[in-house]
Amino acid sequence: MSAALWSRTNAGSFRVAMLAMAGVGLLVAALPVLVIVIMSFSGDAGLEFPPRSLSLRWYSSAFDVLRGEGSDSTVSAFEAMTTSFMVGAVTMIASVLACVPLAYALVRSTGRWRHGVQLLFTLPLVFPLVVLGVAYLLLAETLAQRTGVELGLWRLAIPHIALALPFVLRNCLSAMQGVGRDLEEAAMSLGASPLRAAVDVVVPLMKPGILAGLIFAFIISFNEFTVSFFMYTIDVRTLPIWMYSRTVSSLDPTTLAISTLIIGLDVALIAWVDKLVAGKGRLF
Amino acid sequence: MQTATTSGAALVTRRADARRPALTAAMPSASPRASPRVSPRKRATLLLVLPAVVLLLPFLAAVLFILRYSVSAESQAINGWSLAHYGALFEPFFLRSVLLTLKLATLSTVICMALAVPIAMLMAALAQPVWRRVVTSLVLLPMILNLLIQSYGWMMVLGPTGVANSVLMQAGLIERPLSLLFNEVGVLVGLVQTALPLAVFPVLGAMRVISQEYLEAAGSMGATPWRSFFDVTLPLLKPGLISAASIVFAYNASAFAVPLLLGGRKVQMMGVAIRDMISPMFDWGGAAAAGVALILITLVTMMVATWLATRAVQLKEAR
Repeated sequence: MSAALWSRTNAGSFRVAMLAMAGVGLLVAALPVLVIVIMSFSGDAGLEFPPRSLSLRWYSSAFDVLRGEGSDSTVSAFEAMTTSFMVGAVTMIASVLACVPLAYALVRSTGRWRHGVQLLFTLPLVFPLVVLGVAYLLLAETLAQRTGVELGLWRLAIPHIALALPFVLRNCLSAMQGVGRDLEEAAMSLGASPLRAAVDVVVPLMKPGILAGLIFAFIISFNEFTVSFFMYTIDVRTLPIWMYSRTVSSLDPTTLAISTLIIGLDVALIAWVDKLVAGKGRLF
Repeated sequence: MQTATTSGAALVTRRADARRPALTAAMPSASPRASPRVSPRKRATLLLVLPAVVLLLPFLAAVLFILRYSVSAESQAINGWSLAHYGALFEPFFLRSVLLTLKLATLSTVICMALAVPIAMLMAALAQPVWRRVVTSLVLLPMILNLLIQSYGWMMVLGPTGVANSVLMQAGLIERPLSLLFNEVGVLVGLVQTALPLAVFPVLGAMRVISQEYLEAAGSMGATPWRSFFDVTLPLLKPGLISAASIVFAYNASAFAVPLLLGGRKVQMMGVAIRDMISPMFDWGGAAAAGVALILITLVTMMVATWLATRAVQLKEAR
């Protein structure tokens, strides 16, 4: 492959064509993000490209909006942001607390049930998100009608947890596979109970994988749009939903500045994961 | 006895188990119903698995719920049994939506694959870690970031005064702005971009296992790069290409955010049609049936692709 693409002897049309196609593909992948970041620094009031002047005015306006100043809608951006962070925190803590013991059991056991369980926990990945949104909505509405139970924050957290589980489990599994049984046995031969050995020896060794799982769960929850779109209520809505209802009619530069802040947060978190697990982290 | 029937994959762990006979005896069948007396080890495993299963239960309940709702006789409650909701899917409103979905998913899959193969070749050929990292990050970008935010980006690229139109007009290629947004073109572009990582990584995986010798052999016998690409590389990549294409197709057939934001009112892909059944129409049973139809479309695609890929592998081995 590499020989065909790079060697100078048989260069010519093939190499040029392939490189051009790859270039177009990479441009398409990055174009929307590039344009948002550039436009968020525009000094103009409109959204014409390229911007005639540069400024940070939309960022100061974005910070004002996020602090909850000058909000005209029923739910302020500040409340939406708080909800986003809370749902994200619940999602990451719950999914990691569940996946660490599961990963331990899956790696340390030998039964055939393991394949079934692993398959079960990849199911949320293959389901169309729209259908999941409808399914959770029907379930929550029926629950509210029959029993009067209002889920509040959990309306969003429960589906987000299901969407995060496959990714968190994958990270915990790959961390757990790196923990040898001998260290645990050494702890037990020194008198530690199996539980103490697991908590004091195995969990610290899994730490990079656990952290990666936490971060992935947060990113998934924080960026989730489709299921939240079906599940949100007047009181419980996340930042993406708030942004969507703000921009139904038209885009404005303040939203772009908020978008750029979110992009920055995502990229920083992914870079952190990358450093933690040194290329072994799996997004999919 | 169970240990004896486990496959070769368990061989690796069996050596470790031999050191702990008590453990091996307890582990092989972990099903709690296997014996009336549950050993402590089994109970511990069950306790370890339980929290995750509890967290997954609402998901399983929701999936069963939508199945049951789709065959309910009423449209806003589960009551009785009827196939009326599935019958209603054959009305022109929904059939048009299905055809549009199939068309856009197919087109976006073809374009995605055409872009993914050169990108994967570039990634496989890059020797320097820095560049490999840069290209990998660029390809991953659409996967990590919010679909809503990426759609905002496309609105500014494709709009009447957007990047694409101003570049084309300044280059003198067009005189009046093209209409690229809130129609099928805009949706198609968005679908291609958001699904690109799903196409690139499986193709890259398939490309890494192709033996370099085939290409060298083709080259030494005088094949041009174009010829060895179409006659050697692509046939060898076929199983990988089929599975990547099926993932992209299934993902794009069930797209929601992209058609909602870039398609406007006019482009009713199935995801948006299902939303309309829920929100202005309050036809919950209909939405459930439409959702099941969407699941069936993606499942059938995946199954056909798996069958085609295994057949491609078998044909290759038979040769």
